Amino acid sequence: MVKERLGRDIIAMRVAKELPEGAVVNLGIGIPTLVSNFVAEDKTVGYHSESGVLNYGSLAEESERDYDLINAGGQFLQWVPGMAFFGSEEAFAMIRGGHVDVTVLGALQVSERGGLANWMVPQRGVGNIGGAMDLAVGAKRVIIAMEHTDREDRPKLVKECSFPLTGRRCVSLVVTDLAVIEVAPEGLVLKEIAPDWTPEEVQSLTEPKLILAPDLKEVEL
Amino acid sequence: MKPGKVYPTALRAVEDVFDGAVVMLGGFGGPGLPQSLVKALIEQGARDLTFICNTCFEPKPDEHDVARLVDHGRVRKLITTFIGRPNQEMPALDLWRRGKIEIEMVPQGILAERMRAAATGLGGIFIPNGVGTVFEDGQEKRTFDGQEYILATPLKADFALIGAHQADPLGNLTYRLTQRNYNPTMAAAADVTIAEVRELVETGEIDPERVVTPGIYVDRLVVAERGI
Amino acid sequence: MAERLSRDLIALRVAAELRRGQVVNLGIGLPTLVANYVSRDRGITLHSENGVLGYGPHASDETQDPDLINARGEHTTLLPGGAVISHNDAFGIVRGGRLDVAVLGALQVSEKGGLANWLVPEKGLGSPGGALDMAAGAKRLIVITEHTNGGAPKILKECTYPLTVAHRVNLIVTDLAVMEVTPEGLVLKEIAPGWLVEAVRELTEATLIVSADLKEMDFGFPKEPPVEKVCSSAAEAVADVFDGAVILMDGFGGLGGMAHYLMLALRDQGAKELTVVGNTVGIARVSAFGAPPSPDLQAIDHSILVETGQIRRAIASFPVSPSPSRPSAFEGAYRRGEVEMELVPQGTLAERLRAGGYGVAAFYTPTGVGTVVAEGKEVREFNGREYLLERAIRGDFAFVRAHKADTLGNLVYRGTSRNFNAVMATAADITIAEVDEIVEPGELDPEAIITPGLFVKRIVQRPPGFSPFQPIVKE
Repeated sequence: MVKERLGRDIIAMRVAKELPEGAVVNLGIGIPTLVSNFVAEDKTVGYHSESGVLNYGSLAEESERDYDLINAGGQFLQWVPGMAFFGSEEAFAMIRGGHVDVTVLGALQVSERGGLANWMVPQRGVGNIGGAMDLAVGAKRVIIAMEHTDREDRPKLVKECSFPLTGRRCVSLVVTDLAVIEVAPEGLVLKEIAPDWTPEEVQSLTEPKLILAPDLKEVEL
Repeated sequence: MKPGKVYPTALRAVEDVFDGAVVMLGGFGGPGLPQSLVKALIEQGARDLTFICNTCFEPKPDEHDVARLVDHGRVRKLITTFIGRPNQEMPALDLWRRGKIEIEMVPQGILAERMRAAATGLGGIFIPNGVGTVFEDGQEKRTFDGQEYILATPLKADFALIGAHQADPLGNLTYRLTQRNYNPTMAAAADVTIAEVRELVETGEIDPERVVTPGIYVDRLVVAERGI
Repeated sequence: MAERLSRDLIALRVAAELRRGQVVNLGIGLPTLVANYVSRDRGITLHSENGVLGYGPHASDETQDPDLINARGEHTTLLPGGAVISHNDAFGIVRGGRLDVAVLGALQVSEKGGLANWLVPEKGLGSPGGALDMAAGAKRLIVITEHTNGGAPKILKECTYPLTVAHRVNLIVTDLAVMEVTPEGLVLKEIAPGWLVEAVRELTEATLIVSADLKEMDFGFPKEPPVEKVCSSAAEAVADVFDGAVILMDGFGGLGGMAHYLMLALRDQGAKELTVVGNTVGIARVSAFGAPPSPDLQAIDHSILVETGQIRRAIASFPVSPSPSRPSAFEGAYRRGEVEMELVPQGTLAERLRAGGYGVAAFYTPTGVGTVVAEGKEVREFNGREYLLERAIRGDFAFVRAHKADTLGNLVYRGTSRNFNAVMATAADITIAEVDEIVEPGELDPEAIITPGLFVKRIVQRPPGFSPFQPIVKE
């Protein structure tokens, strides 16, 4: 019997817990976009987008789409109080200058030393770097939200990234549909695990050796 | 966005400025000079400070600027662009001659860009400013497309004290006219940025197109004392 | 002996050197007086390093605003169409080659074009202020000074004081003469009324070459036609785009920030072998955010230029469709080997453009270290961290999409459509702005202006009812 993995919403919910009060956060495309849906209402988080907006709110309804207000994924945003607009050079000055506390990105591969590959599948031959390389080096904390394995169930947590790198040694935490894993100096530390899964089962879907945290527990929401 | 950016008094806002701290001070002339914060810093008592600011003239009884801090013996080093015209004598110059204070003079265009390099996370930049003058002495030079450039390095600070017109509680700032000057650059180049504003307005009252310093750069806000 | 010119007359003579449309910075002292002779109708923009463009006469006691000063600390006024900018931007404008003339005073000036005006060595310490930056960055450097200092010559063979700039002075205007610095030496072009060449020579240490057409000092102002930036159509605005040009365009990829009207005109104009620089190379057509309101329409994006074979090369950060199953026209052309591509991280692209606009030759960035982007580039460590050396990018043209312009070219944007547009506007020789509305100078709030008019050469308004979509032509 195939055991159930966590849904995309649950991954996003778990990541949301990682965002500290007052953080400035940049959310990438895919599962990361969902994270804002699960941030507690009483928590103050400021969202930054490379498209040139700070403190943006929810996505706009289809009927109120405004071509002049988009996030970095091209989705239309609502006009909300407290926003600030700026140009691209400023948007990336904020990132590279260390003013973004947390970025949540998707990944194709993450290495045991925190290397990240998320911009190009070699088979396609071309890819989009976009803002990912800037976020990887500039954000104070890089959290990866992804499925634990690819479509053919091959591990995405690998010893060395075989896909073109986005950044070296930049990832702090990986939240997957099976586990929460910290990138520590000594290697990947399994901190939390999906309900009904055993560390051995997670290890079998992970290329590098996992270090079990002494307080390993079930994924906490 | 850090909550609780609004501080009740200027003194509370500068309370952790430590001895030996590097402090950027905004303002070009009176506009944009955060006088309540300077006044509070005098009261707070930190010493051996390094100040990065545009000018240092004579202390004036009605103006709280870096010259007052120099006068109070709080400043160990000044990094500045202007301490008077070639034929003018200023107190800081006298202190410098007597070895009481260090002064590093920097052309404005170099200062501006070094601070921006820090603010934007660059390791260094090649700029043409100062080529062929004493400001290239000891600097690495490189030629690009037949023109010489100097490698300028980032200049950052522990604190930036800046002056603005309006703020909302998220720290978004607007400036009025030439209040702007160094303030947006310094706000982004310091670990802790403290802004003094004339008016604190509700979130949403500032047009998002007109925010000049986004709140991401601002850690503390204080409303200017009346009459300053 | 004849009288020397008054300070006001020297300033008047310098004012006669200025031309319509120029951006001019005036230094402290004598240069300040030049402002009195730059009347509003001459169309000259005065730049002040504290962050003002287009300032006017001194403010009176009644009109003065404590928040509006020039770099001398004097209360000034803003002319209609003036703009407030940051100090950093003020110097970026100078470094980026947008300052046409700097007028500076002098302690000493040499026949080789050297200037010393910031430090008297005996004092030990001097104030560079903005003088070195202005002197080095201005396209034309005019020195205004008294010819002598208490009888001692100030026009020398070599400056003995520390230099403000070496070999950059173009013209020296004094109370006795107008002299031009040429490769042959210092040429005496004009002489004050009643003065003889020999008398001026006696007060000059530098060797004076007397111009063949030496004349008495001329205070006349040139007659000049107005500078017209508003174009009647996009076709007119892009008419001189040449084959092989580098064009900066595309806000972010979405429909809001794209200059569709100019892109269509460029397609019709037909320039080939183009290099385009931008975040995307046309993905609106194949993305959800470019979805048309009806199925027989499609978004206008770079694809219209790819399909005509006009694009040869792209420098971009997000060049292909996010979805492999819906490739863009550019991706197809790339796979067929018809176009070249340089892939740049988005923040590096923005910074390379800013460097191009603001006179920074190159910079070290941490972005891309250890990745494919680093291939062939210098890697260097600062304070224990590795950085890549990246070079500035400049364009021959920038197609900028803004919300409103005034007739001087000042621009405001709307929402996130500012993104790459504002930085691109600074980084091209010819920046063309496509706007929704053109207003008169003074109608845009000087504090809200994002792109000052000095960056913008041409403005074109979108025709009423213009759509960012076009019908799909069935083959």
